[in-house]
Amino acid sequence: MRWRRAALAALPMFTLTAADAIPHHAFSPVYDEHRVIIVAGVVTEFRFVNPHAMMVMDVTDEGGKVVQWTVEFAGRLNLSEFGWTAGSIKAGEKVTVTGNPTHTGSARIFFRRIVRADGTELLPGNAQRLDTIEEQRRRRRQGTQQQ
Amino acid sequence: MTCRVLLLGLLLLAFVPPPAGAQTPAARLDGMWSDPPVTPEGLFCFFACTDTGLARLNALLDDPANDARPFQQLQAEAKQAERAYIRDQLTPAARQRYPFDPADDPGFLRCEPWGTARQIFAPHQLEIRPRGADRLELRYGEWDGLRTIYLDGRRPAARAPSAMGHSVGRWEGETLVVDTSGIAASIIMLPDLQAMGEHSDELRIVERYTRSADGGSLHLTATLTDARTFRAPLVLRKIWRWAPEQQIAPYDACERPTEFKKGARP
Repeated sequence: MRWRRAALAALPMFTLTAADAIPHHAFSPVYDEHRVIIVAGVVTEFRFVNPHAMMVMDVTDEGGKVVQWTVEFAGRLNLSEFGWTAGSIKAGEKVTVTGNPTHTGSARIFFRRIVRADGTELLPGNAQRLDTIEEQRRRRRQGTQQQ
Repeated sequence: MTCRVLLLGLLLLAFVPPPAGAQTPAARLDGMWSDPPVTPEGLFCFFACTDTGLARLNALLDDPANDARPFQQLQAEAKQAERAYIRDQLTPAARQRYPFDPADDPGFLRCEPWGTARQIFAPHQLEIRPRGADRLELRYGEWDGLRTIYLDGRRPAARAPSAMGHSVGRWEGETLVVDTSGIAASIIMLPDLQAMGEHSDELRIVERYTRSADGGSLHLTATLTDARTFRAPLVLRKIWRWAPEQQIAPYDACERPTEFKKGARP
């Protein structure tokens, strides 16, 4: 599976908020929140641990060389709020990961979205929270208009 | 069959917040709490917030001109106003180092657990449990941090400041009031990981924990006093949701960073 990078800067869905941040330290020293890349590969390991869950994947580059990428997530203490378990991602799965690259351009990415081979998605918990808030605002506006 | 019905009943009871006034004050806070209710206020105060920041957020949300703007954008604008307010509350010396460069954070660099001034605003799980008649334990999912609150008023003999300091608690009606001092100089959420500051070992924190009338949320008002850091006492707020389904998992896989960039502020 080939890997690809894309500069998708300034997409609103990838703007960081406090609730999005890595739990035990700030995000900014390692990752560039203003850039987004996409990497596709095969999962070799998923560790559902604190303070950060980690996934390792084999990514075949354009020259046919297999490069090991690390995908970093929020911690188990955060992901468990949204029903994630150690079995949420399995070794052998083909996945496409969208996320923030490191400042140095190393083979490491901070998770923003995973799309599995069957098209199902894994998203950070805060995306679900924001959807709920927008729905609350929409209903409130509707209620105001009906009065 | 009877056993199954009984088990189901017990399970349901565990997920229903106890009604107000039905318990002793200590029992009303006892149990597991976690991330705040999904409301604008809950999200805004995910780590901590100020009344000034909340007022700004509510003004933005109430303005019909902002109806088409995403919540995230309004939240960011209110947080910016909040940071300006906090900056104004700092002494000139503290202001020079605010916000603290997160690349200098010992929790990040050396996997050093947080002190009280950060731990009390940690997101995710907070478990409150009585330990005997004279103390409470507050255990946090973040860092698996543990605090002991002494309810018998005991004060330690003079000793060097420590990361968690010394906490004495009392009940004012149904509100738990915790007074903490003797905290070693460290880092503080002002009001979150994107905007941290430093405090001195003169910091004193008075926390007031109150459960909502419907039992579904826990509200903290923390007053921070430190003449070397703040020009006047600073009040921060935080909210948790009643979360008996949550568990505190091991916190044993912290890794020191292999790469990072200084000065990369959000």
